[in-house]
Amino acid sequence: MIEKDVVIVGAGPAGLAAGIEASKAGANVLIIDLNIKPGGQLFKQIHKFFGSSAHRSGTRGMDIGMLLLREAEENGVEIWLKSTVIGLFPGNKVAVEKGLENEAKEVVTILAKKIIVATGASENVVRFKGWTKPGVMGAGAAQTMINVNHVKPGEKVVMLGSGNVGLIVSYQLMQAGCDVVALVEAAPKIGGYAVHAAKIRRAGVPIYMKHTIIEAIGDETDCVKEVVIAEVDDKFQPISGTEKVIEADCVAIAAGLKPTVELTRLLNCEFTFNGVFGGFIPLHNKNMETSVEGVYVAGDATGVEEANTALEEGRIAGIAAAQSLSLIADKEAEEKKDAIWKRLEMLRLGPFGERRLSAKEVVLAEYLNKVGMPQAEIKLKG
Amino acid sequence: MKAYDVVVIGAGAIGTSVAYHLCEKGYEVALIDHGDIANGSSSHCDAVALICDKQPGLDTQMGAASIALYKELAAKFSYDFEFDQKGCLYVCETESEYEAASAYANRQAQDGYDMSMVDAKTLAEMEPYLAKDLIGGIWTPGDAAMSPYKVCFAFTEEAKKLGLKVYTYCSIQKILLGEKNQVEGIETDQGTIYTKKIINCAGVWAPDVGKMAGIEIPIQPRKGMNLISEKTKRIVWHKILEFGYMMSKFDDINFKRNVSPLVEEYNVAFNIEYTNDSNILLGGYRGFRGFDARSEIEAMKAIAERGMRFFPCLKDINCIRSYAGVRPFVVDHLPIVSDVEAVPGFYIAAGHEGDGICLSPITGKIMAQVVAGEKTEFDISKLKFSRFEKNVL
Repeated sequence: MIEKDVVIVGAGPAGLAAGIEASKAGANVLIIDLNIKPGGQLFKQIHKFFGSSAHRSGTRGMDIGMLLLREAEENGVEIWLKSTVIGLFPGNKVAVEKGLENEAKEVVTILAKKIIVATGASENVVRFKGWTKPGVMGAGAAQTMINVNHVKPGEKVVMLGSGNVGLIVSYQLMQAGCDVVALVEAAPKIGGYAVHAAKIRRAGVPIYMKHTIIEAIGDETDCVKEVVIAEVDDKFQPISGTEKVIEADCVAIAAGLKPTVELTRLLNCEFTFNGVFGGFIPLHNKNMETSVEGVYVAGDATGVEEANTALEEGRIAGIAAAQSLSLIADKEAEEKKDAIWKRLEMLRLGPFGERRLSAKEVVLAEYLNKVGMPQAEIKLKG
Repeated sequence: MKAYDVVVIGAGAIGTSVAYHLCEKGYEVALIDHGDIANGSSSHCDAVALICDKQPGLDTQMGAASIALYKELAAKFSYDFEFDQKGCLYVCETESEYEAASAYANRQAQDGYDMSMVDAKTLAEMEPYLAKDLIGGIWTPGDAAMSPYKVCFAFTEEAKKLGLKVYTYCSIQKILLGEKNQVEGIETDQGTIYTKKIINCAGVWAPDVGKMAGIEIPIQPRKGMNLISEKTKRIVWHKILEFGYMMSKFDDINFKRNVSPLVEEYNVAFNIEYTNDSNILLGGYRGFRGFDARSEIEAMKAIAERGMRFFPCLKDINCIRSYAGVRPFVVDHLPIVSDVEAVPGFYIAAGHEGDGICLSPITGKIMAQVVAGEKTEFDISKLKFSRFEKNVL
């Protein structure tokens, strides 16, 4: 059986950052990712990031991805691509369906001293009549198609949801040559930053507030050809008689994300429900360690936020894992982690950030309450 | 809380059947479980009632009677538990296995059971996707499959019509005993229940209940594990097992299969069935891991490897998950269906290991006969609890 100090599931910003930190400390690290390329969602983020200069504001997500990959390579982090973790088993065994050269697969078991779960999040769906027809997809999927694979998801797109993902992807779809024929939002207020909304409004995209999609109608091959929208009342119920038919061959749904938690569920980690973070999440402490000793989480897998917070949480998990393997001195590790927690506080500012700052405090407090003091802290306090 | 004639502890395949058969005799019965109905081993198992995996004699006799009873109940109950008498094939890899299987089948046929040998050609006709190099097998047309948890619900629902009272999520705290050590009642977290008779049908948890009455019940948890495939076209029509399964079940140390170290280590024996929902259930592994019923990756691999040996086309079918449960293991492979002399009014119906689903109806029927002081359908002296008390001496 292959043995590793640290096995990380997911090569997105959280996983890569965790890998870099653990590897810098001298740990033997393996990152596993099911995609053909590492970087998670970073490579489809062709836009510049917001935030402070400490977090590379003004840098495009894809460039951050390149920097992380280079750093990972320089630090000797091993990455298995096209490989899926199919289960975490008793005794810290990680079962992987490993992708081989000739598209073949092989099931390999790895014995991991520490496991970091950085599996990210998945898109929520909205169910309406015809929601399974070809042409209906998540906004994230549409973004991957244009920015990573360079394929247009359709000619005429209806975007559902006005959060930042809905707004940014609408703009990028236009840049890719698609026609965004409508942006539909059930709430009476734009969900994302006004600056993004203004940009697409200026570009001429009709924005339908207090509206929802009630049906996607297919053509003779079942592919979407028309989308029926309608106004909604205060209880988000469609008002009959307000239906409009829009010609479109693609519906992109930007209805938020939920943490990908199957692996932490399999390990019976202690969970909590947190609406701010997108649903059920594994509890963790300030080391990003779950209720199961030696199993850490980072990034969207423990609460949907953004690439920068994922990156910082990944760093903490990587440092904490190395610390628990006695690869970093406690004092140095604590200083590093404290500095990152301070940076995270800066990231969790502003109208969107503050909710997450207090939600994170709730999660950390609940961990202490349900699971107790982290091992490392007990040791430090004697 | 009130008083009952009999309190049955454990709402699995055994307890629900015992409760039903007691209600049928006119007793006022309460059924208690610390969880829900079919919450334990009975929902973490496979789904068959076979005689072709039984040892000749009482074991087979009870199996056959139980299947006959299942057939009767399937016709009688309004609750459908998906009873399907699809027959069972026991397949042999080698000439020596075939010889042993022939001797076994002949013995069973002499005892009057419908069991016969089929050759390689017939095997291929009956199951075209089976590996072509198999020698032959035992064909038992009467063997059956059913939904194990629906069996529990069927017994419970039918018994409720006869007045059964069910207490789920009810924990037993103490068994009340009188001056002569006789059963007086049970203290639970939902109050005290008065009764003169308790039937311990708690399966792997039966020893805990036994302790409350001051007796040691030698049942150990033995883990069993299966794989489930994605929904797929039909590739298997009968229940099929490898003859080595019987050897695995009864730990025949003289028997050695030509298998990989992994299959050997995990004592994996192939068995397969096709479910009503178009998934394939592939087994199986048995091992002692205490109450830890988590899946083990090596056992999963070994089950898949063994499955592909018998059904090569399985390599193109995806496994979607695995599950494990704990079976109540007794060292002599016979259940305990018995009164307990030291504690008047205390009875045990537990320890069926992997045969609880199969032997559920007949166990319920016999236990009800024991409680009523009637002559039992078979001589069940071999199932007496006193066989262990003697061992202690």
